[in-house]
Amino acid sequence: MVESPFLLIAATSSAAGLTAGFVMHRSDFCVTAMFRDLFLVGDFFLLRMLVLLVVVSMVAFEAGRWGGLLGPYPFPLLGPGSLAPLIGGLVFGVGMVLAGGCVVGTLYKLGAGSMISAVAFAGLLAGSALYAEWHPWWSAFARATTFSPAITLPQWLDVAPALLILPLAALGTVYLYRCLRRGLLTRPAYASGHIPPWQAALILAAVGFVSWLFIGMPLGITTSYAKLGATVEALFWPDHVTGLAYFQALGLNYTPPFATEPVSGGAGPQLDAIAAIQYPLIVGIILGAAVSALLVREWRLHWRIPPRHYVSALLGGLLLGAGARMVPGCNIWHLWGGLPILAVQSLLFLLGILPGAWLGGKLLTRYVVR
Amino acid sequence: MEQVNSITIDISGQLCPSCLLLTLKELNRHADAVRNGGTEIVVTTDDRQATATIPDAVNKMGYAAEVTRVDAGYRIRVCARR
Repeated sequence: MVESPFLLIAATSSAAGLTAGFVMHRSDFCVTAMFRDLFLVGDFFLLRMLVLLVVVSMVAFEAGRWGGLLGPYPFPLLGPGSLAPLIGGLVFGVGMVLAGGCVVGTLYKLGAGSMISAVAFAGLLAGSALYAEWHPWWSAFARATTFSPAITLPQWLDVAPALLILPLAALGTVYLYRCLRRGLLTRPAYASGHIPPWQAALILAAVGFVSWLFIGMPLGITTSYAKLGATVEALFWPDHVTGLAYFQALGLNYTPPFATEPVSGGAGPQLDAIAAIQYPLIVGIILGAAVSALLVREWRLHWRIPPRHYVSALLGGLLLGAGARMVPGCNIWHLWGGLPILAVQSLLFLLGILPGAWLGGKLLTRYVVR
Repeated sequence: MEQVNSITIDISGQLCPSCLLLTLKELNRHADAVRNGGTEIVVTTDDRQATATIPDAVNKMGYAAEVTRVDAGYRIRVCARR
């Protein structure tokens, strides 16, 4: 990993991670809460922030595509729609509520000293690595239920992206303007150094754009959870890891922006393009959140909590990790990256995560928080 | 001055959104006493999000909330509106 494409990728990814970790901690930009609180307490506030992030990204990505700034388009690793992202999204939705945070929420909370998130993180690694055991079967199921080779909705309908994306962005803008007029985009907050979530949404949309500009794709991290899980598993059962098809495949093959040679990567334990893109992002988010928490003197380990919370976090992490691999892709990949370009997989993931969050909320209030 | 009964709960480190849910549960259990001003609920937490969601939720229910910084976290006092 000494070639220049990897240096630019790793530098961009580190900066994106540090920024995202800091901002998400300060604003508590929790994607899990966006969906969970909708069902648990009828609170739409954070979901409006997701709408803001998606609408801004729709316009920015479309402008970037028109200006020839963003390539490749659609970005790599997106696949055609099937039942896999729908079912995977449901599993992911249940998991994120039980874990108390999504794949990124777990990282920024871990960075701020949350022991619950440390347990969820362990579950995430294990769940991601375990997926490799049934990958061949799941992959065949995804192929069998694929209904179109199109990656995006505009491709499926055979229309120019702008014809679908810009009217939807305009509708979103009208909705957000009405929310703004009614004071629904802000609410009083008393936490030290608080960054209003609407500002966080704009910053995170900008981070996603910069990531696509310099790396060739928006933010995503879950293939590296499988990679990290495989690395740990290989310490104990190296032959088994080598024998699993999922860890041998190199799903990423593309030429990054500002590079002349193609790069490749996969979920196996080797250090490749996936590691260069995602490991710095993971470390950056944890460090960014840690710095934020230390600066406001809130970094502290709390571990004396009811055991059922630990069990929930572990189970949630396992489901999160496995769900993300089944989709494939996590919530920030699909909701912040794929949804703004109307990727079919991302739309199906969104449809799956909604009932998943509802079910997760039912399980949480019945068995965990009581 | 009237003596106020304080119900204190420490929800530090727990799974999100324990802080909001357990506060609302306690508030519902003692709704009349809190509304009459004889009881207040005092929550200690490290959950930054709860410092926004609890005041927002209890205000909609007709109560007041006051957030103060303590040690490495926050104390949220839920009481009757004056």
